[in-house]
Amino acid sequence: MTTARTMPKGKLPLTALFGGVYAIWLREVKRAVRDRGQLIGGLSRPLLWVIVLGIGLNPYFRGEVYGQVRFVIPYTYLQFIFPAVIVLNIMYTSVQSAVSLIWDREFGFLREVLVSPMPRPFVLLGKVLGGATVAMVHGCLVLVLARFADVAIAPSSIAYGLFLMFLLAFGLTSLGIIIASRVRSFEGFGVFSNAVILPLYFLSSSIFPLDPALSRAQTLVVYPEWLVMLIEFNPITYAVDALRGNFIGFHQFAPHLGIIVLTSVAVGFFLLALLEFRKR
Amino acid sequence: MKTDVVVPAISLQGVSKRYGETQALDDISLDIAPGQMFALLGPNGAGKTTLLHIICTILEADKGKTLIFGVDAAKESARARRNLGVVFQQNSLDRRLTVIENLEFHGLVHGVPRRLRRQRIEELLEAVDLTARRNDLVETLSAGLARRLEIARALVHDAGILVMDEPTVGLDTESRQAIWHYIGDLRREFGLTVVTTTHYVEEVENCDTVCILDGGKIIALDDPQRLRAQYGSEYIRLVPNDASVEAALKAAYPELISPLPRGLMLRIPDPAFTKTFLAEYGDAVSELVFDRQSLESVFLALTGRHLGRPPAPNGKGGRR
Repeated sequence: MTTARTMPKGKLPLTALFGGVYAIWLREVKRAVRDRGQLIGGLSRPLLWVIVLGIGLNPYFRGEVYGQVRFVIPYTYLQFIFPAVIVLNIMYTSVQSAVSLIWDREFGFLREVLVSPMPRPFVLLGKVLGGATVAMVHGCLVLVLARFADVAIAPSSIAYGLFLMFLLAFGLTSLGIIIASRVRSFEGFGVFSNAVILPLYFLSSSIFPLDPALSRAQTLVVYPEWLVMLIEFNPITYAVDALRGNFIGFHQFAPHLGIIVLTSVAVGFFLLALLEFRKR
Repeated sequence: MKTDVVVPAISLQGVSKRYGETQALDDISLDIAPGQMFALLGPNGAGKTTLLHIICTILEADKGKTLIFGVDAAKESARARRNLGVVFQQNSLDRRLTVIENLEFHGLVHGVPRRLRRQRIEELLEAVDLTARRNDLVETLSAGLARRLEIARALVHDAGILVMDEPTVGLDTESRQAIWHYIGDLRREFGLTVVTTTHYVEEVENCDTVCILDGGKIIALDDPQRLRAQYGSEYIRLVPNDASVEAALKAAYPELISPLPRGLMLRIPDPAFTKTFLAEYGDAVSELVFDRQSLESVFLALTGRHLGRPPAPNGKGGRR
């Protein structure tokens, strides 16, 4: 018989911790690849938005007159909503990816991770990076439709665009983790996440513009003040604006606001998710 | 003169845990020597799972100290966890990953270097006879095979201590025997300390030490042979033919009789008792079974109650 071990092992080295982050990331990606339903959703969502909504509303978008105000957005509706559809795909996939936390809790896998020597922040980092990667891929599925939406993506804009998409995906996956930590069931998560995603999306100037050429007084002729205020307070507004600025060169707000808000969202939601995650 | 002091694999010092009004664990102190096969025995709600969760650091004790090879599990939980391989009562494998992917995942999150990880995984797959199923999704495995995989997974990081919560619950007799066979082999091969909870008394007969818990307290702690010799008795299990016989038996032997889920259990106080009893009641009872001294009888002698049934196969028995 082998002699029984009597000596304890030491602490896990830092390189091993990143190996653990990689393992958790890889698991999230593998699970997503094997989930055909998620992939179908990632493809069908942009197709519906770009083809049905985009083509349907395209003729009514330019040159509309509201009293004394005339829109001067120099883009087709398809071009205008194209960056917002990227955001929509990332939003859905990021938040939904956090459902794996409920899955893991329900089916016991979370305990397997929690009894490992991985500190909680590294476990969370692996999960968020995994969800963000899958969401990025779903965002890239929309980019494939760029030519169809008559959006010419300059090669020089791709790297920065991907970086913006990553920040958004990272922040929203963290938001999903916060929701999943507080919601106990799959059904509850679905309802709650939709209740978060849809208002954030519709109130982000994603499907109608706040024309930067208009003064605030002119804007308030077109839209009620409460709606304008909600849009301006919504962080997703600045994500949409940053991607629009990057991919079609159209900003409704100061260009630097996008990156500042996206970084704040990514860091802020990650820290909040960590607070929730430490409780378990 | 220099003497070797053996650090216990696990040392619990005055561990207590309370859930609201319920005292789940009350001042538990014990040492488990390296290489021991240690069993926690007790009915539902005895505190077995709570104690195991404190040992494997996913639950904090309200009071007391837990040392894993001398490492304080509360202060250095990550370090303590490196020495523990845990098999939970509920299956905790990722069913959408393959056998090998589950093992790889475990090795990575426990920081096992690549070459060592691969070697260890191959050894363990062979040890639990799962090499041929390595690329199968876990969802295609039977409950017994999944359990074997969980045990192998718990050892990928070369843990010195294997902690198992009801490892055979929900398995048929053949699978249960197979699991213990594999555990025995792994223990010999890797020099493991094994700590397990179980409801099945026959499974703890071969352990080095048995700790009987009831109501969050240790009521006995010794090797099974000594416990049986000290507290064990021989019993007759029987089913009375009707209610009047049952009432008569209870009246005749109030000190010796105790109810079972089906029938009664009668402690045999001395060798002559059986003959006298059968002469008087032999025709009034059926399904007679004679029990030798067992840990079940030890538990009965110590608590006046039976161990009860094990929790449902995928149930969430015990506190989380």
